Amino acid sequence: MKTVILGFDSFDPAIFESMAEKNLLPNLQKMADAGGYSRLEVCSPPQTEVSWTCIATGADPGSHGIFDFVLREPNSYMPYVSILPTKKSAVGETFIPPYTTKTFFEEAADMGYPATALWWPAMFPARPELPVNTLPGLGTPDIRGQLGVGTLLTTEDETKKKTAVAALIPAGNNRFTSTLSGPAVAGKSGPQTLTLPVALDVINAQSARLQVGEVQLDLKLGQWSDIFEIKFKAGFLANVHAITRVLLTDLGAAKRVYFLPLQIHPLHSAFHYASSPGFAKSLWSKVGSYLTLGWPQDTTGLEDGCINDDQFITLCDLIFERRKQIFHHLLAGFKEGVLASIFDDLDRIQHMFHHNRREVAEAWYKKLDQFVGEVAARLGAKTRFIVMSDHGFSTFQFKVHLNRWLAEQGWLALKDGKTEGDLSHVDWSQTKAYALGLNSLYLNVAGREGQGMVNASELESLLGEVQKRLLEWKGPDGRNVVSAARLKHEVYNGPYARLGPDLVVGYAAGYRASAETGLGKIPAAAIEENHDHWGADHCVDKDLVPGVLFANRDLRDFGGISFRDIPFLAIGKHLDQSHIKPPSQVGPQGQKDLEERLKGLGYL
Amino acid sequence: MLNLFSKKTSAPKQPIVIVSGLPRSGTSMMMKMLAEGGLQILTDAIRSADDDNPNGYFEFERVKQMTSGDRDWLDEAGGKVVKVISALLEHLPSDRSYKVIFMEREIQEVLASQKKMLDHRGEQNKVKDEEIAAQYRAHLAAVKPWLARQAHMEVLYVDYNKMMAEPGPLCRRLIEFLDRPLNEEKMLAVPNARLYRNRA
Ligand SMILES: [Zn+2]
Repeated sequence: MKTVILGFDSFDPAIFESMAEKNLLPNLQKMADAGGYSRLEVCSPPQTEVSWTCIATGADPGSHGIFDFVLREPNSYMPYVSILPTKKSAVGETFIPPYTTKTFFEEAADMGYPATALWWPAMFPARPELPVNTLPGLGTPDIRGQLGVGTLLTTEDETKKKTAVAALIPAGNNRFTSTLSGPAVAGKSGPQTLTLPVALDVINAQSARLQVGEVQLDLKLGQWSDIFEIKFKAGFLANVHAITRVLLTDLGAAKRVYFLPLQIHPLHSAFHYASSPGFAKSLWSKVGSYLTLGWPQDTTGLEDGCINDDQFITLCDLIFERRKQIFHHLLAGFKEGVLASIFDDLDRIQHMFHHNRREVAEAWYKKLDQFVGEVAARLGAKTRFIVMSDHGFSTFQFKVHLNRWLAEQGWLALKDGKTEGDLSHVDWSQTKAYALGLNSLYLNVAGREGQGMVNASELESLLGEVQKRLLEWKGPDGRNVVSAARLKHEVYNGPYARLGPDLVVGYAAGYRASAETGLGKIPAAAIEENHDHWGADHCVDKDLVPGVLFANRDLRDFGGISFRDIPFLAIGKHLDQSHIKPPSQVGPQGQKDLEERLKGLGYL
Repeated sequence: MLNLFSKKTSAPKQPIVIVSGLPRSGTSMMMKMLAEGGLQILTDAIRSADDDNPNGYFEFERVKQMTSGDRDWLDEAGGKVVKVISALLEHLPSDRSYKVIFMEREIQEVLASQKKMLDHRGEQNKVKDEEIAAQYRAHLAAVKPWLARQAHMEVLYVDYNKMMAEPGPLCRRLIEFLDRPLNEEKMLAVPNARLYRNRA
């Protein structure tokens, strides 16, 4: 077995088909011409971490428990990030694997083959007990254990929505000083944030010298620095290592320096970053340094106005180039097994430009097509080659505050006279339903939720009523807000299914849950226009955003292909057989006639 | 596909070659081709040659008993060819590997040929042709996606009409698929002979 998989996060079939028609994507078109193209049915909800996990396991979330970006602990209603769960232990809070369901990588390893998964979501922390090589993707935290925001050092009195801001203080002689905050460690009197001194010496209008702790960097205005390493002293002989890039964004009257989120150093990580550590180390030394954050394409910095479009695109380019180099390096030594790599820059590019600068997004499709051509040229005829995406892309004109809508319908009540708030302000004794995560709606079920009040006898009718009203809901543009509201038992099978949301809310094109809804908040209005840079998305109903599947085999006989088929296509084995119905189970009446006929011919 | 995936199985058995398709879709012609090419055929003489199948049926009666559990004969079938109509494919046990040559033919031709055969046998055609055609189409629409998902079956679809019109390229693909040294010339003689007979 020799299988190469390129995962292009968010690669959209409609964009592919329209660009291919104009001959703009010749390498993928070549695979399609040979019968090796299909739209791919993706899981519900079509979120990145959910979808790639469904693909890796060939099973829906009922089998692995990743239902949504944000899940809740039913007893306390406390939200947590599904791909970064923690457990309290003797040494404090530690990260635990988001799921343990068998993937086709593990299956390949069990069959005796080497298996490698690069930048696959929900694979942090690494599981050293598994013989699978991993560099984790989405869900990998920064050194603070968060999903990561950057730091802006500025001479101006300004605040940012998410980005950390620290003052650059004039120190004379064109020098400005500041402090970079790092991770928090346990101190004598509670947690203590480690810091490094920063000094910026302005040389001229185009360049400056930056000193961060012991590191000195010569920076050019508007150019990303190389990846560099910094050390926070955490006591006697103890250091916390981090890597980052920095960008000098302003050397006019205002001076600004922007740091990417401080990321895990793969050679000095306190967490199980990669599997094996030697694998991560060898890539670092043989190919070069690489960013480790799960979402290294800094959309937050762009949304907060810390970096501009071009600087963001350049950062995506730098990430893509280095990841391609790592992939090519591994491909050169790849003899058998599975080598899979996810490239997610297109997803970030589309979130930012799908709606307003389509040419930027299309340029990225061309880049990926060219990469496919480079890889295909290096593969022998007996190598399986799969190129696929986890979902397509859609528009995002309206933010939906689903909890507000539930309140308006009389299904959710706030306590203590509050009119806005989050789940901690909810009067559970008066609340039948609540929303948390980007596509999840839960009923407040007696015996399941901590203060549940919906009785078993009422469940079905209430679900039906919520479903009905969701589907009737019209937005300010007169169109439907929700295109499908799927019941748990219709979409989820397996041991985790009972833990999933009671309804999976599949938004219609143009609508998506607000970030506030993701966190369980209840703002003033049910629907708000989206004017953010983040102007396009895919967390809608799964039928609106199918993915793509390309293979160097004929895919036309498969009928519809879904995420459940990927393990089979990748390693020739189904991890879960339940979706394969033998032909005799199709159309029983016709089957009977058919059998009669065949008996007449003497064949049965 | 199996050969591309399996690893470290102790001395893998040779896959069983299956010729399949709807009845009267060219399966007997394919059996004859493979026999001429040098493959060993698993057959018994229960149905010998007649007007409907001048080369013989190449059938193996025990295939029909698979539904009632008789599968022991598969132990001796490795590397040999056996005819299994599409409706019985799902009964082939999944603990062996198969190379399936699936014959495809215009449904109307299949029906016409079946009708002729029923007439010869003095059987009545109880169901209308359009209904049967719809059922065959539905059956094929279900069999193909199912076959595509079988880890133990590698499938080659062979268009009977194309094979009769221009056998050369398809015959070469067939040999490539079976990955065995076969006598191409003798194989080609089978469709060619029919071609000449029909032209004559
Ligand atoms: Zn994605």
